[in-house]
Amino acid sequence: MISRTLHHTVLALIVFIWVVPFIALVTTSLRSEIASKTSGFWTAFTPTELGHRFSTHDKGSTEEVLIMTGNIFERLNLQEEDFPVSGEVKSVLFKGRVPDPDNEGKTILLRKLVPVGEAMDVRDGDFVFQKNGDFTWTFDTPTAPKPKKLDAFIDQNPVFAPVAYEEVLFENEHVPNALISSFIVTIPATIIPITIAAFAAYAFAWMRFPGRDWLFVIVVSLMVVPTQLAFLPILQGFSGIASWATALNAWMTDCEATKSCQVASKSFASLWITHTAFGLPLAIYLLRNYIVGLPRELLESARIDGANHLQIFTKLIVPLSVPALASFSIFQFLWVWNDLIVALYIGPNNSDDLVFPIRLQQQLGTFKDQLHLLNASAVISMIVPVIVFLAMQRYFIRGLLAGSVKGG
Amino acid sequence: MSFTTKLFGAAAVAAVASFAMTGAAKADVCDTPSAMGDMGSFAGEVITIAGSMQGRDEENLLATVSCFEKATGAVVKYSGSRDFAALIVADLQSNNAPNIAIFPQPGLAGDMAAEGYLSPLGDETASWISANYADGQSWVDLGTYKNADGSEAFYGFPFKQDLKSLVWYSPEQFEDNGYEIPTTMEELIALSDQMVADGNTPWCVGIESGNATGWTATDWMEDLMLRTASPEKYDQWVTNELPFNSPEVIAAMEVYGQFTRNDDYVAGGAAAVATTFFGDAPKGLFTSPVQCMMHRQASFIPAFFPNKGEEVASGEADFFYFPPYSSSNMNFVNSKGKVVLGAGTLYTITKDSPATRALIEYLKEPKAHEVWMSQGAFLTAHKGADLSAYASEAQRKQGEILINASTFRFDASDLMPGAIGAGAFWSEMTAYANGQDAQTTADNIQAAWDAIK
Repeated sequence: MISRTLHHTVLALIVFIWVVPFIALVTTSLRSEIASKTSGFWTAFTPTELGHRFSTHDKGSTEEVLIMTGNIFERLNLQEEDFPVSGEVKSVLFKGRVPDPDNEGKTILLRKLVPVGEAMDVRDGDFVFQKNGDFTWTFDTPTAPKPKKLDAFIDQNPVFAPVAYEEVLFENEHVPNALISSFIVTIPATIIPITIAAFAAYAFAWMRFPGRDWLFVIVVSLMVVPTQLAFLPILQGFSGIASWATALNAWMTDCEATKSCQVASKSFASLWITHTAFGLPLAIYLLRNYIVGLPRELLESARIDGANHLQIFTKLIVPLSVPALASFSIFQFLWVWNDLIVALYIGPNNSDDLVFPIRLQQQLGTFKDQLHLLNASAVISMIVPVIVFLAMQRYFIRGLLAGSVKGG
Repeated sequence: MSFTTKLFGAAAVAAVASFAMTGAAKADVCDTPSAMGDMGSFAGEVITIAGSMQGRDEENLLATVSCFEKATGAVVKYSGSRDFAALIVADLQSNNAPNIAIFPQPGLAGDMAAEGYLSPLGDETASWISANYADGQSWVDLGTYKNADGSEAFYGFPFKQDLKSLVWYSPEQFEDNGYEIPTTMEELIALSDQMVADGNTPWCVGIESGNATGWTATDWMEDLMLRTASPEKYDQWVTNELPFNSPEVIAAMEVYGQFTRNDDYVAGGAAAVATTFFGDAPKGLFTSPVQCMMHRQASFIPAFFPNKGEEVASGEADFFYFPPYSSSNMNFVNSKGKVVLGAGTLYTITKDSPATRALIEYLKEPKAHEVWMSQGAFLTAHKGADLSAYASEAQRKQGEILINASTFRFDASDLMPGAIGAGAFWSEMTAYANGQDAQTTADNIQAAWDAIK
């Protein structure tokens, strides 16, 4: 019993640790940019005392008055449609120079927090404010005061709005374009390697040919080749292919008239090929270990019934390997979807075709000054892998054990 | 042709509407005070540009070249990445060069020229820069490198400058507290002391910037080197003719320490300097209540203000020139002009074509400068560009500082070898912020420099 409680506690703790960043991301993406930069996300749900600077009235008024009235919240929300400030005014910071009592002819800076209802001397007038933000500013003689900015400490109510989402999804085409580009890259880059790998895995598991084991060892050892090491040669290769394609294009079509012969060496196709190449070793290894564990009797009886290799593969192996295929496709999908570095070096670089991770990186701006948009885009980019995972998790858990337990 | 654009255009009518709107906005962008000369005709020719600018900067660059596209029929394609420095090297080595590469660091451009990847822009362009840019010769020197044969040529066209010698403040706070704008370094130090006596905190300083932590500290150092030592000494320092651990450099570092290693001077205390993100530091000017009174940073910093720089337009924020010393033994600057520290991007040709040459010619047009000036976040040393084109009064003032500079010096850390300017200098200044003494800091940087010689 104790160990079970312990299990649950540990499990709950792990889940909590993993979920906190996600909650932080979603919360931050819904808050105003200023709020998320000045206070932590955990303060977003309860009234929090925050400083706000407001100006008493607009510039340029020359009307002479004895009493000026206004409302602090109204002044604060003048240009704020999406994240209006509401709550209770706690205090206002008073700051100004007063004669120094100890030092004749000098002044000292006085700073104090003035509570609700107490008068303070602002530009020779008495400034009094209430909890609900109403303020009065009384003068002895009619004056046209210059506007004054004051710091109000407000117990602020939580406020959320999906402004950042609207901006990234609807105000320019970047994020929707990047989503489509990511799908264009990810779907073939998942399907191509898994198709090739399934055939190869069958061959390694059930076909006899000379050097089979050596070949398999070589394929498995390719898993340790770091992607980064191969960028330059791959890029040089693609650049060679592209110049061939350009020449072919010029020879076969009338592209010279429109100056459109150039075939890009960095394209979606280059990404498909690269991801396929780097995904294959693991895919073959994983699937081969699964397929080799299928009951031998089944395949032999199919052989006796006259089925050839292709029939065995399509009619028996593929349906029986669905868990392994699904689990690898999740691996590959997530890897390609989240890949930044391969896409950066080898993928298309015109701004319409950028994939999501690059767009996210770009959204920061040259000087990382647009963090608020990044949060919203990051949440959007997370939704796709979450859907894929939830849809296929049934297979994923079975597939995780692929090759590890023989017999089954 | 873009497959995704088509897909999306078919999928969402809203996107089509927004396309139409940006199209309309771009049409107006080209109406600037100066007319454009004949640029030739390059219908359908594609010019590819690679650089490090993204987001707003990228949009402004595209707006600027859109006028060239309209005039000539050429098509400009830009790809920007924060990892430009790594990507451009791979692209050049694998024969995937864009037509134009925009280098933020002259050092890297020089390396690429030495490997033979850049095409010279010609003496005519060099003499044009020298005649038409403020302190033009310093810009020509910046873009002149040795090629693979070891002979020198002009490769980098300077376009878009940043101004570093600025101190940002809130006029409202200065008024409330009764402070005056200092015009000499002595006054600036006295003002800082006055603020401390009043119970205010004078400075917001932050040098954290991920794996580039320390670069804002190097800007401080450079500005102070130009003020405590002469511009000639500065040039020697950049090439290490003047060793890093010489008394002049250590003196500048001590002055920097006076400002930033003083718990009374810095918001959050001196210990916060190394851990405060440089983009968050200026926000202390606008928090309620304020955390500090002044922030020394380059012209780009308003983008990090809470309202993205609207504060500058509305008068909530302003800047003054980071002043020089008045005492005669420290006054290397002639009384009329100002010594100015800045940075900028260099446009180089990495794959030559007539259309590419025409685009470089276009960058000489005042119009090219004025278009970007009107979009904001752009300063130019081009004396022919109409100052009234600047998007805001503040930018116009900065542009004037740049044009009237008697002495312009480029960001030293960008000119030093990468291992120093983007390595030891950054990391050792961070160590200095964390309490390492000036002599050790300078010795360590010099040792790193000796190691790569």
